[in-house]
Amino acid sequence: MLKGKITAKLFAFLVFTDVLETFIHFCFKRGATSHGVHQVNALPDLFFFLQGVFLSPYIWIGLLSVAVAFTLWSTILSKIDLSVAVPVCSFSYIFVPIASIIFLHEKISLLRWGGILMILIGVILVSLTSKDKESLL
Amino acid sequence: MKEGMFFILFLIAMTSVCDTVNQIFLKSAINSLHVSLSGNIFKILKFIFRLILVPRVWVSFVFSILSLSMWLFVLSKIDLNLAFSLDSMHYIFIAFASQHILKEKVCFKRWSGILFIILGIVLVSIS
Repeated sequence: MLKGKITAKLFAFLVFTDVLETFIHFCFKRGATSHGVHQVNALPDLFFFLQGVFLSPYIWIGLLSVAVAFTLWSTILSKIDLSVAVPVCSFSYIFVPIASIIFLHEKISLLRWGGILMILIGVILVSLTSKDKESLL
Repeated sequence: MKEGMFFILFLIAMTSVCDTVNQIFLKSAINSLHVSLSGNIFKILKFIFRLILVPRVWVSFVFSILSLSMWLFVLSKIDLNLAFSLDSMHYIFIAFASQHILKEKVCFKRWSGILFIILGIVLVSIS
């Protein structure tokens, strides 16, 4: 019973890490483009660019998220094989379409449902191969 | 345009390679510590502190920065859907590297699961 609890937590960790990863990309992208400098041709330009980047709050939120994601991901990897952890992370490809159905009331095409189903089958198959004490599902 | 596209494809492949190298180094550093963690937050923090003192982790950091910068560059050039479906090839790299470098046992079932995931991602991305 306790074992089941821990693995459910591990699964939640995996999903949260993946969401955080997307958030980090978003933060860095915003931080790097939020100010005026678009062309870096000379050393002073680079200085202004970096000054702008590091004054942006997005970069600091992003860096903090990196630290949290690294902690979570390392904890996960200390428990399961790399070739299990990485494929199971693809679960986020299912969350995005489902979130867009629920919150944005988007219509999902049949092809996309097929894709979601295939990812789900794949994740379950990969999880099943993980050793008994490390099983995720 | 054609040459530019080749360059982008090359960059996506390099992003996948860098990401794989990053994960392999991180996992091998974690394996070298021989820990089994419980849910205790202090134990986890202590583990992280010991982990960042392992030189291999710093190699992994360098590659993750490389991979992130290339990825952001790629995303600014091409369609998100195409980028994501092409990036799914890194699952193959990871499985292959785990099998041969980390000596993990990637059995037929796990390979077929990975194949399903890749097909699924391509379907989700193109539709």
